[in-house]
Amino acid sequence: MDTSPAVEIEHVSKSFGAKVVLNDVSLRVDRGSIMVMLGPSGTGKSVLLRCLVGLLKPDQGKVKVFGEDVAALDESRRADREALFRVRRRFGMLFQDGALFDDMNVAENVAFPMRLHTRLSEEEMHARVTDKLARVGLPGTEEKFPSELSGGMRKRVAFARAIALEPDIVLCDEPSSGLDPVMSATLDELILEMHRTLGLTFIVISHDTAEARKIADTIGMLANGRLVTYGPAKQVFEENHPALNQFFTRATQGPIKVV
Amino acid sequence: MRGFSAFVFRAVRAQYTSIPPREVFVPQFVDAGYGSLMLLTILTFFAGLNLAVQSFGPFSRIGAQDMLGMFAGIGGVRELFPVMAAVVGGARIGANVAASLANMKISEQIEALEVMGVDPIRYLVVPRIWAVTLALPLLCGYCNVIGLASAYGGAVYQLGNDPGTFVHQVMEQVSAFDLAAGMIKGAFMGWGVGLISCFHGYSIQKRDGAEGVGIATNLAIVNGAVFCIVTNLLMSWIMYG
Amino acid sequence: MIAGVQRFLSYLGAVLIALVTRPRYGIETLRLMQVIAMRCIIPVSLAVAPVGAVISLQGVQIFQLFGAERLLSSFLGMAIFREYSPALASVMVAAQAGSSIAARIGTMRVRGQIDALAVMSVDPIRYVVVPGVLACVVITPLLSVLTNILGLFSGWVFAVPLGGIDHGAFMEHLTEQVTAMDLWVGLMKCAIFGTGVGLIAGFLGLAVERGAAQVGKAANDTVVSTIVLILFTDYVFSVILLEAGL
Repeated sequence: MDTSPAVEIEHVSKSFGAKVVLNDVSLRVDRGSIMVMLGPSGTGKSVLLRCLVGLLKPDQGKVKVFGEDVAALDESRRADREALFRVRRRFGMLFQDGALFDDMNVAENVAFPMRLHTRLSEEEMHARVTDKLARVGLPGTEEKFPSELSGGMRKRVAFARAIALEPDIVLCDEPSSGLDPVMSATLDELILEMHRTLGLTFIVISHDTAEARKIADTIGMLANGRLVTYGPAKQVFEENHPALNQFFTRATQGPIKVV
Repeated sequence: MRGFSAFVFRAVRAQYTSIPPREVFVPQFVDAGYGSLMLLTILTFFAGLNLAVQSFGPFSRIGAQDMLGMFAGIGGVRELFPVMAAVVGGARIGANVAASLANMKISEQIEALEVMGVDPIRYLVVPRIWAVTLALPLLCGYCNVIGLASAYGGAVYQLGNDPGTFVHQVMEQVSAFDLAAGMIKGAFMGWGVGLISCFHGYSIQKRDGAEGVGIATNLAIVNGAVFCIVTNLLMSWIMYG
Repeated sequence: MIAGVQRFLSYLGAVLIALVTRPRYGIETLRLMQVIAMRCIIPVSLAVAPVGAVISLQGVQIFQLFGAERLLSSFLGMAIFREYSPALASVMVAAQAGSSIAARIGTMRVRGQIDALAVMSVDPIRYVVVPGVLACVVITPLLSVLTNILGLFSGWVFAVPLGGIDHGAFMEHLTEQVTAMDLWVGLMKCAIFGTGVGLIAGFLGLAVERGAAQVGKAANDTVVSTIVLILFTDYVFSVILLEAGL
């Protein structure tokens, strides 16, 4: 088995104007692990996620995905653009509110990436859509439109779309935000099940500590643009960094400043 | 302004180096063209009547009331009907385009496309620009027909002009060149409206929320209308000046 | 459809009542007037000014056909004052102010601010809709005064320096034929069109329920339906004025 890391981030910094969002962040994510990145809102978690797929470019540092440095790719050059799209095809991404296409029904949404990147026949595609929807617990919803679905259902359809091309890494942007506790637990179990059955690597950003406890192999914490702690879940919990502690105990006083 | 020229450069390069995906282009084209028919029929109907009724006063003051056919021919076909089709049709289509793109932007649908390896400029923007560019000239031609017909109705039935004179004057004054000029103007204005409305829709960020959709729609309508009117003057000046 | 008409009528009633009773929000109205005037002045000018130029450009040729190009200015003046400047200025006010008022009210609905106003015992119609209507009523005629001047000027440019018509003849026929009545008719039309813009924008903005897409649709629908209304009323006006010999 290939033991090289799925993702390696080396000394990545990113600022918007005068605001430093990421400050010299380095980390690695092993293949087949679930990494949960915690942190208060607005500390660059989703910027980090977008750097991974090349939606944003870091000011400095390397973002290696299966050895390829995404940050060095220049989208205006044809060869680099193709390399970037090749990397992106190994990712599935679950967006915060699902980001389903409004003008397509559920089946068309899930089939969309297959239609673009594979030469599957309509029947094969249909079979795959049915399979993915069954996996996320929404069989029989093919004909519904996103506007007819609840928030939790939209996220699960988005999940089905994210795994439609059988990616290696799934990125989840706040999977539990806006959901009730039962629905977010359902989504967590879905992540665990996909991890178990498909062996996918997950990178999850979240501010839900219960979620982190439940699913994480590796935990990181971003605060004020810095990666204050990072390591195997068990070790991180034992080490109990003050910022992480503040997060878990919901304290207003501590290293994380409320502005 | 820098943002706009960068966007135009990107969009135009994509427009002429790729074929728009059919499944996006066709619904957009149908919405732009067929979707505007009803509105433009009503509008040009009243515009044609207005053209006849409103010019009657000034024309009779200078003793030229039987010149309405000629006026409808030149004023309507060369200027009023195509410009109205472009301004109002363009406002409707442009607002739809800007609102849909802005809405896709704030709900992260555009980022989702990018992650799936789809270039949103080629997949979303180019088919929309083509749809407007191709639909507007057809609408301009259509409005010329409706407008002339209703101007005829107004002049003959309401103001008692002689039908033969009206038709004769229109036939004499309106050339194939005028009809073609109206459609060429339409294509050019459609292209501009497409670029402007795509730009405003695409410039919205996620944090702008619902307000951003309103802003994009508003800017698309206003800037599109101004663009059409100013372009029309410049093109008329070149063609008729 | 019938339910829609009913809703619109009861909305009209509420606006009318809010207009004639207290409390009134004068400061908010003045603020909106200023905002709308500032936002509209450039697009309205840019859109209406070319009309005079186009009339001269085509008119010179028409009038030359029967050797009456000296009469161009009297036609230009009447067409601008009575018809094109008021109609087009109102269309542009609908495009700029109407769509942004509808979008603003729609956004307030989506964010729950309209409900918040109601909970704080502020009638949203009074506080949000009426100032918008009043601002449109006042600003549209003012803008059309400006566009009258711009339209005449651009018409003059294309008639005299570029069209070869004698300046003296241009001015003579302009002042001889164009009456104050022409100006008043135009201004009155603008006030009425402006009312329509404000009323429709408020109605469609308040009709937004949820979702960003509906905000865009409200802005779009406001422009489209106001333009239809403007052209229709304009036609009715022309017929009435023609019959009355004004």
